[in-house]
Amino acid sequence: MKIGIPRALLYYRYDLMWQVFFEELGAEVVISPPTTPAMLAEGSSRVVADTCLPTKVFLGHVLSLVGKCDYIFIPAIRSVTKDGYNCSKFLGLPDMTQAVIPESPPVLEIDIDVTRGQRQFYQAIYQLGKHFTWDPLRIRRASLLAWQAYQRYRELMSEQKLTLPRVIQRRGEVEGAVCWPVAAPVRATIALIGHPYLLYDEYVNHRLIYRLEQASNRVVTPEMLTMEELELAATRLVGKAYWAYEEEIVGAGGHYLQNGADGVIGVMSFGCGPDSLMMDVIQRQAARLKSIPFMSLTLEEHTAEAGIVTRLEAFTDMIHRRKKER
Amino acid sequence: MEVYLGVDVGSVTTKLAAVNKNGELLGHIYLPTQGKPIEMVQTGLREIKGQLPQEVDICGVATTGSARYLAGVVVGADLVKNEITCHAMGTLHYIPEVQTIIEIGGQDSKIIIVRDGIVTDFGMNTVCAAGTGSFLAHQALRLGIGIEEFAQRALTSRTPVRIAGRCTVFGESDMIHKQQMGHQIEDILYGLCQALVRNYLNNVGLGKKIDSPIVFQGGVAFNQAIVKAFHEELKTEVIVPPHHEIMGAIGAALLVYEEVLSKNRRSQFMGFGTSEAKYHTTSFECESCPNLCEIAQLVLDDQVLARWGGRCDLWERVQAEEVK
Repeated sequence: MKIGIPRALLYYRYDLMWQVFFEELGAEVVISPPTTPAMLAEGSSRVVADTCLPTKVFLGHVLSLVGKCDYIFIPAIRSVTKDGYNCSKFLGLPDMTQAVIPESPPVLEIDIDVTRGQRQFYQAIYQLGKHFTWDPLRIRRASLLAWQAYQRYRELMSEQKLTLPRVIQRRGEVEGAVCWPVAAPVRATIALIGHPYLLYDEYVNHRLIYRLEQASNRVVTPEMLTMEELELAATRLVGKAYWAYEEEIVGAGGHYLQNGADGVIGVMSFGCGPDSLMMDVIQRQAARLKSIPFMSLTLEEHTAEAGIVTRLEAFTDMIHRRKKER
Repeated sequence: MEVYLGVDVGSVTTKLAAVNKNGELLGHIYLPTQGKPIEMVQTGLREIKGQLPQEVDICGVATTGSARYLAGVVVGADLVKNEITCHAMGTLHYIPEVQTIIEIGGQDSKIIIVRDGIVTDFGMNTVCAAGTGSFLAHQALRLGIGIEEFAQRALTSRTPVRIAGRCTVFGESDMIHKQQMGHQIEDILYGLCQALVRNYLNNVGLGKKIDSPIVFQGGVAFNQAIVKAFHEELKTEVIVPPHHEIMGAIGAALLVYEEVLSKNRRSQFMGFGTSEAKYHTTSFECESCPNLCEIAQLVLDDQVLARWGGRCDLWERVQAEEVK
């Protein structure tokens, strides 16, 4: 059985975990190729006007998997912490996808809602595994291995400070994932704050990480911090954030403004409500602290490369010159 | 005599500035780009040569502006620098104590915050070009008055009307509405200036600490009515420095001096003869991958000098191979 996974949204967070799970249960996993202009255009053509950019990209990936797999895996990840929720686009993702892409292969869903307790959580995993086997022990084993694989790769990011593309490259499992070394001499560390599906989708962000690294900057991201560091910094800024992933972003912003970076770039997508609030919180904090520069970059479908390039060059120049003067 | 050249090719105007190693301005050119960046750079080179002494030695040349990469290949730039760094550098040379730089050009507007001579923050307008020079020029044209006359008439306004400045489309329909209601052209014009300033401060200047001394530069700073509107809105003096329209080019020239000094390298400058060369550009769609990038190339006598526009560095590598 072939399971398709769209390379979009939470793929950039949990890709390996699901892949290991399905493969342990004897399925073959097909991941859609990196985003192309055609995929975005096709995804955009399926939605109502006010849908956010990442969702359009996601639908483009689903469309690219039509005819290439038997099932398509779309989790509805409602919450990942006990008292935080996810953006509504994650809650309704399987339903929305089926509504706007009727030709999609049958959707394999799982409802993940940690607020409803552990029992519900395990049951959801069991329900998903049941599509492949009747043996509960096999499902348990597959889910444990999947969790371990996920933990290992989070560790690679947080302990060795590797960006996701570098982790993938080290894993050697995805063809064509080549990371060029940071251009020597490394002159500054720039923190990129934003959702992984914006930071790592090179089409959407116009090769943001590559550009910064080629300009002699080391890039650090929210995943490189531990949960404790993130929570501590987030609590200081906003108390308890309603949205789980946004809390991570605020936490990372708050942390990097004071430790371990020479500049912070907040990356958000146009039309994203949670993003616009979170970036504002970080921007205000940056203005209060006056520690290091902060810049926000808004990505949307029509973002011109020239605008991004000029901003990144100016930001890098500013930071390098500041460091030189000190 | 050692001379350093700065070339700023913007969307609407092309600027050149020549400085000596003490940073004194020896010559400058201000031309409309008219959609022909290469030709205008060539014209600029020809004209600035006439302003410089005979025995001149170009020790460094830098390009900036939205066509900086293209211009960089044409002149043989030693340095290709973004507009923000160049503008800050130029302004700091004339007004070292500056804290805020307001720059409004043809297609974009910027704010640069400077503290102790170092850029600490900046902002640029987003995708929308509302409230930039192009919009003012377009409105002046629609009302049938020259852009020079625009400022003079706007300054005579006594009761400016309020015009929506958030979006040029709304702004224009608002203006038409006010004009059909019988308001004076002068009042509409100054209302437009106020709308532009409000929009700038609420958009580009959002969250920025705008402290004095404030410098206003770029092509739009020629418009005294906008200067007055800024002055009224910010309730403090707004300085329009000499040579404000070529500040980016001056900054580029100063930066290349610094660059040449630190690298101790000979200039790549193609010479003034390059202004006679027959360059042309072509483009094609790269079909190596599904991205279908539009690749532009600069050609001189059937030889491709540079290619860009790709999402990967395939064509840069091809170029490097060919040069070998």
